Amino acid sequence: MAAMACTSAASKTVFTPRLGSVKSVKSVRSVQLTSAFHGQSVARVSQVARFKSADVVSKGAGRRAVVVCKAADGKTVVIGLAADSGCGKSTFMRRLTSVFGGAASPPKGGNPDSNTLISDTTTVICLDDYHSLDRYGRKEAAVTALDPRANNFDLMYEQVKALKEGKSVEKPIYNHVTGLLDAPETIHPPKILVIEGLHPMYDERVRELLDFSIYLDISDDVKFAWKIQRDMAERGHSLESIKASIAARKPDFDAFIDPQKQYADVVIQVLPTQLIPDDNEGKVLRVRMVMKEGVPFFEPVYLFDEGSTISWIPCGRKLTCSYPGIKFFYGPDTYYGNEVSVLEMDGQFDKLDELIYVESHLSNISTKFYGEITQQMLKHADFPGSNNGTGLFQTICGLKIRGVYERILANQNNAATLESAKA
Amino acid sequence: MAALTVAMPVAGATMATSVAFVPKGCFSIVAAARMAPIKIKRRLSVVVKASPKEDIKDKIPEAIAEAQKTCEDDPTSAPCAVAWDNVEELTAEAAHQRDRNKANSDPLETYCADNPETDECRTYED
Repeated sequence: MAAMACTSAASKTVFTPRLGSVKSVKSVRSVQLTSAFHGQSVARVSQVARFKSADVVSKGAGRRAVVVCKAADGKTVVIGLAADSGCGKSTFMRRLTSVFGGAASPPKGGNPDSNTLISDTTTVICLDDYHSLDRYGRKEAAVTALDPRANNFDLMYEQVKALKEGKSVEKPIYNHVTGLLDAPETIHPPKILVIEGLHPMYDERVRELLDFSIYLDISDDVKFAWKIQRDMAERGHSLESIKASIAARKPDFDAFIDPQKQYADVVIQVLPTQLIPDDNEGKVLRVRMVMKEGVPFFEPVYLFDEGSTISWIPCGRKLTCSYPGIKFFYGPDTYYGNEVSVLEMDGQFDKLDELIYVESHLSNISTKFYGEITQQMLKHADFPGSNNGTGLFQTICGLKIRGVYERILANQNNAATLESAKA
Repeated sequence: MAALTVAMPVAGATMATSVAFVPKGCFSIVAAARMAPIKIKRRLSVVVKASPKEDIKDKIPEAIAEAQKTCEDDPTSAPCAVAWDNVEELTAEAAHQRDRNKANSDPLETYCADNPETDECRTYED
């Protein structure tokens, strides 16, 4: 474990002498104890991975040196995000990386068609890079990209495991423009690794490695509306061809992608609104956040009181909303045999006031200061979904992930100091 | 494997003409590669000029036409699904490119992303 490595490395190089001198101990290579930004230091630390005890006992003084290991590097936290293409994953990614700070951009100086995004703390890997068959291979074998036969799960597992343990990997690149597999690029282990794609939770071994997983479940009507928005501008595309495209992919989608819902810690469902009878524009959305109970380090967001059922319309005397208004619901439920809590929002935000009012009534949102959700939403007011539940729940998810990450880190630090205290 | 072919003409010292040949499967980064002709007395090395970068927008109408043709006979067959999956992949990529271009359209923003400490890029928050 990198955390232990840190401790052992610390015991070799840096030491705080107690009361005077410690005779010169053969100091081995200098190892950076400070945190792993993209694992450059972690990579070195991992070389020192064998846990050696008390090399530091000085020859003459007979005093043990106290070692304080910062252990800011720990195991990489891995988040999985599953969704069909065109379902807001990239928007989600941008919101998520923004919560952690810094803008995510493709790796500089590498293949310009790389799908990877790197920011200060996060690296986002697109699972399309683990396709075993490129576009032409899939055509020959008559399998869609949704089919597990087109993906190399062994490689995916190996590399995610390696990154989690703090080792750099050479990850292939799937070039979406040419449809071919390009030469690999080096990925250094980050603090937070996000794997997004069609199959993050499909393979059981990969599932075990995920610290947190999210599934974006878009209903067919909404998917159709979003795809129209996205694709109608393209030449050659028409309503019928979009419909045909969705219909043709549906069997594979239902067979391979949809079942991953049951394994996700959070499912964000996007459905047509119930506030407007016979609405077919798909502008107003009903978004449900289904949160699994009992996930380590994660506590579901709630309204009023955990475990109770409540239906809430914030608009009234204190707040005036325009049609169709906003409606919230919170309650416990079961989902694929798991105990879950569901938080639901139907409607749209028009004004800043509405957003801050709603935020002040949600609990367990893992914000660091009052108004953080509102601030994040405003920062990205131009992103799609910024005025409805999709943006709100994606932002909340981002903050919850940050909370999970910090708790995992704190847990590792406690474990590390415990180890060094015992030693 | 990416391989650039370089022709080795006869001994002579004439200016090389560009050879436009890049095998499929090269890094698209090659699209930007142009090497200056080197004039050496005996042997000559030749400029390799890569083909222009493929535009994804042009691929979409072809892909749609192909999908529609494949699906004429049997809309539930596997090749039909694969063809529409291709279309989906291409349109998704085109949409991402559009977003990226929109995001990169302001030259000041792109400059400041790399150099936040310069005077032009200072921000003040009260």
